Amino acid sequence: MMFNNFLVMLQNRWPEIMIGTWEHIQLTLVALFIGNLIALPLGILLTRKRKLAEAVIGITSVFQTIPSLALLGFMIPFFGIGFGPAIVALTIYALLPILRNTYTGILGVNQAVVDAGTGMGMTSRQVLFMIEIPLALPIIMAGIRTATVMVIGVATLAALVGAGGLGDIIFRGIAMARQDLILAGAIPAALLSMIFDYILKRIEIAVQP
Amino acid sequence: MKKITLLLLSILLSMSITGCSSFWEKDNNTVVIGGKNFTEQDILVYIMKGIIEEKTGIKVKAKAYLGGTNVVSQAIDRGDLDIYAEYTGTALVSVLGEEYSPSDPEVVYEKVKTIYDAKKQIVWLKPFGFNNTYTLSMRTEQANALGIETFSDLAKQSAALRLGATHEFLERIDGYQNVKAVYNMQFSSPAGMDPGLTYTACRDSNVDVIDAFSTDGRILAFNLKVLADDKKVFPPFYAAPIIRADTLKKHPEIGEVLNLLAGKLTNEEMMALNAKVDLEGKSPQVVANEWLKAKGLI
Repeated sequence: MMFNNFLVMLQNRWPEIMIGTWEHIQLTLVALFIGNLIALPLGILLTRKRKLAEAVIGITSVFQTIPSLALLGFMIPFFGIGFGPAIVALTIYALLPILRNTYTGILGVNQAVVDAGTGMGMTSRQVLFMIEIPLALPIIMAGIRTATVMVIGVATLAALVGAGGLGDIIFRGIAMARQDLILAGAIPAALLSMIFDYILKRIEIAVQP
Repeated sequence: MKKITLLLLSILLSMSITGCSSFWEKDNNTVVIGGKNFTEQDILVYIMKGIIEEKTGIKVKAKAYLGGTNVVSQAIDRGDLDIYAEYTGTALVSVLGEEYSPSDPEVVYEKVKTIYDAKKQIVWLKPFGFNNTYTLSMRTEQANALGIETFSDLAKQSAALRLGATHEFLERIDGYQNVKAVYNMQFSSPAGMDPGLTYTACRDSNVDVIDAFSTDGRILAFNLKVLADDKKVFPPFYAAPIIRADTLKKHPEIGEVLNLLAGKLTNEEMMALNAKVDLEGKSPQVVANEWLKAKGLI
């Protein structure tokens, strides 16, 4: 009986859930795209300038410790409400795992292999793209996957600053103390996490040398 | 080491237990006034406390910011509270679970008063005067430019305006769903957001229309305009002190004293008091006492 009610609710809310899911995907993809754009090159750069690494990674760690709700609230005076501040906050969240894994991954590449490359007359660029990145790829991808799952989770909070997404349905459910509504937002969010993680895993396997 | 920790823990525990019991203890010449968890209720608690202590010599224990309607209404039922300020619409719909059909404020007041008398042995005293209802609000400038005074005016132009509202308002059947159906509102995609953000979002033109409470201090401070609910979809929420019948019987003077407040607090005045606490950061107690003095009540 309860399950039936749940299905009827799902049917009634279907357009809403679809819109929420789509907004959620947009938030996640845009934030991850910008996050990767910043963190991947920065991580590689830091392996060449190791003195800076501690400081830069330290700063991103500090951002990570700010509670996500506070970070979203903090954005409002600068970016107002809606899509913009949500993207900025989510991007900041995505930075640390990608940056740290890129840095650690490349540093962890066996020095003997790098030396062999250099000995064969490879330029620094060739060593990076032909040896270091391919060998560090599983660790870099692990960072991206961590960031993805995290961003999908935190993106539910974006509904509090009027950015929509699946959090919208969840917060309506909380406001009305309706478990079914909360689930109608939470289940798609969990599914999104799993699907994104699976796709990234396939990509990882596909590009592995 | 373990023993010392254990000893410390047991001392702490016994202290908190004795602390608790003294917290709930009531002596004969003390009444307890409670309040819900928002600013306006805090101010009302201290206004009632101030005037009772000044005029009757009865001691008042203030328990402000207790919780939602559920918490305070159960507390007064159980006798943990003697008095608190309730709103007619809340009492009717949330506490008694009655249906609201568009009707005048006096009718709603008489209805809840009668039911509370009979079922709960709780007496409704005279209303303070203001009506803290759900409403829709816009920037005054924009509302005037578009010639919008009422919900009906708004509905005609709603397709071109952006609505921002709390998730609760958007979801409640007696909230946006009802307004939308009765007035035929055409907002394309309402943005849900945290209750703390709606007023600022409207001020900063992130949205054009918000759900609001008609006595919120920010309406005044941000130069927003409250639109008139011309088809009365929202129940009236006139606030009045309510008191347990047994307490009133023991201290009839409390009823007389609290009725001195009747009609003294208009919407504008309540809004200004709320603004003093929410926006100027004054304490509710200070604001309440200042108001009582200014009105010559103490």
